[in-house]
This record gives sequence, structure tokens and C-alpha cells, in this order.
Amino acid sequence: MSGEHPDLRWYANGQSALSGSLFELARRLDSLFLAWGREYGAREHLFPTFLPADELAKVDYFHSFPHLVTFPVALAPDEENLRRFASSALDPGGTVRLTQPAEIRDVLTPAACYHFYVRFQGETLGAPEFVTTRATCYRRESHYLPLQRQSSFSMREMVCIGTEEEVREFLCSARECVRTFFARIGLPVEWQIATDPFFDPSRSPKYIFQKVEPVKTEMVFGGRLAIGSVNFHRDVFGEAFAIRRDGRDAFSGCVAFGIERWIYAFLDHFGPRESDWPALEP
Amino acid sequence: MSNGLQIRQALRDWIVANSGKVAPEEVTEETPIIERRIISSLQVMDLILFLEQLGGRPIDVERLEPGAFHSIDAIVRGFFPEVAHVR
Repeated sequence: MSGEHPDLRWYANGQSALSGSLFELARRLDSLFLAWGREYGAREHLFPTFLPADELAKVDYFHSFPHLVTFPVALAPDEENLRRFASSALDPGGTVRLTQPAEIRDVLTPAACYHFYVRFQGETLGAPEFVTTRATCYRRESHYLPLQRQSSFSMREMVCIGTEEEVREFLCSARECVRTFFARIGLPVEWQIATDPFFDPSRSPKYIFQKVEPVKTEMVFGGRLAIGSVNFHRDVFGEAFAIRRDGRDAFSGCVAFGIERWIYAFLDHFGPRESDWPALEP
Repeated sequence: MSNGLQIRQALRDWIVANSGKVAPEEVTEETPIIERRIISSLQVMDLILFLEQLGGRPIDVERLEPGAFHSIDAIVRGFFPEVAHVR
């Protein structure tokens, strides 16, 4: 699969546009993920594109992933600054000649589930929260490939915030549900222990911690592409965002699906024709 | 330092001193020091530096295996296999 398909338009800035059969496949895949979420009674949320930087800083995001983070940028509003910008906005190569930027206080969503910890911040949960959202996520990468590694992409997540036992049970059962689906449609996916893509990993305590206490398992298609992951966060988010459950910091875990990567896996394994794709009932 | 008992004691002392959450008698050979949050994720780097000092050789973090810092016994078996039988 080279990334060429009549219903895929690839842009040099690492983004793709879907239409026709691929757009429909994206919709059907998301419906499948939502149906899995409904098994847990997961409430669906819709979040905005920006996350406050000071919220992400609570989980040390900028130390861990400075190479991935992207920001919404605007110009400082003073007239002189705006005039200077307007007089020469782009260089001949198409690069924006930024004059004085306004204060940057937000980041573009890097992963869907962060929004939930901000949303439930300071709350004491009387029962486990099962929630789901789909977000367009943004990451700066060293290179991009159609559907496989994009600067913006769609991520559906199912999240459980609760006690350690509640979260472990959710992750275990969700994983089994997804595993059964892969087996039924015959998609070659292996489950592999993984680490997050930390900056300067050999100096990152969090990376080393993930190496010795694995918390992330990826769904790896064809031995090379992670199309989703199951993540046990322990009580990291509960502690950082003061979310309490059963008399202590809440535990959390998520199951994440990269929709464009699922599309890639379908095209690569089942071929480009919609008629060859498997049914997507849960 | 080559004596297995001394290494185990040095590890226990380091864990107790750096954790600040436990008394020496609460840390047995099998106590899960990560799982019980006796040692935090941020202290793992310091633990590696301490083990490098103790063993007199660098540790390649890329070769760390799951469970490497699970307990004193797991650490000794993984990083000091030559004295792991001495308890």
C-alpha cells in the first residue's frame, strides 16, 4: 500500500483527506469503536481542539514530549505588529514570516484522553467513569507517511477512571473484545509491549520506568504499524488532577485507536476495494 | 563490593533513605518496591546511578527488562548474578 487510492488525498504537510469509500470506512470503524464503548456504558464527550498548557504540564508533558508538541499561534494584537506582518506575511518559499506572536497558553490536542483528566479534575467519583471521545490529534514528527504517520490524525479512545481493580478489569476485557474482532476478520495483529515516544529516552525516568514496569501494549499490524494501544496509567492522572475514587487517587486506563492507521491496515491487508473489506459489526 | 549480603543491605538502606515512606523492617527481599510506590518513577534514575556505583559498571537502559526493579531480590538477580545466591 503506497498511500495511493482514489479516495485519499495526501498533502505535503503530513495530512490526508478522505472521501468516498475511505471516508465511509472511517465512519464505520468509529461506529465499531463506539459500539465497543457502549458495552461499558461509556458516555461520549466532544472536546475542543486546544488544551491549556498548564494542565498538560501537570503530567510533565513538556519534559517528556517536547519534540511532539504543537501550538496554536496568533499574532500579538498591537497595530504596529500587525502592520509589519501584513506587509510581508510569507517568504517566496511559502514560509510564514512571523512577527511578534501573542502569548501561547494552549497546545493542540496531542492525544484524545488528556481532555478527560482535565474534565474530571478535582472530582471524587462515586462509581467508575467509562467515557469515550474522538479527537483530531496533532504531533510534530521527523517524517510523515500517508495514513501511517501524520501531523494530524483521528484518535478514538475509551477511558476508564476508577479503582485499580476497575481499571484493570476494563482494560483486560476491552483487549479481549478487540482481540476477538481481529481473529474474526483475519487481520494479522500482534500485541506487543511498548513504551511511549519519550524525548531523550535514556535520560527520561518515565521511559525507564515504562521499560521495567510495562504499562502500554500496542496492537501491531503486520509486525510494523501500531494501529492502537491499551494503556494502564496507574494513578498518575488521578494524582496530577486530584481525581479521587474509593478514598484515594483514582486509577485510569485507556484503549486508543488510530483511525487512519486502521484504514491503512485494511487497505494493505484486504486490498483497495470496498467489496473486499470485512463486515464491521462489533 | 562483592558480598551478596552487603549488596542486599546497601540496597535496603538506599530504598529506605530515598523513599522516606518505609522503615527498614518493612522492606523484605521480595517487597514490590515499584508496585507499592516505595520508589517512584522519578527515583528510578537515581536507583540506576546507585546500582552503577555499587557494581562499578554502567547500565544500558535499553537492555532493562520488565520487572528489573521489582524487588531487592529481583535487582540482585538481574544486576549482581554472581552473588545472587547469597541471601
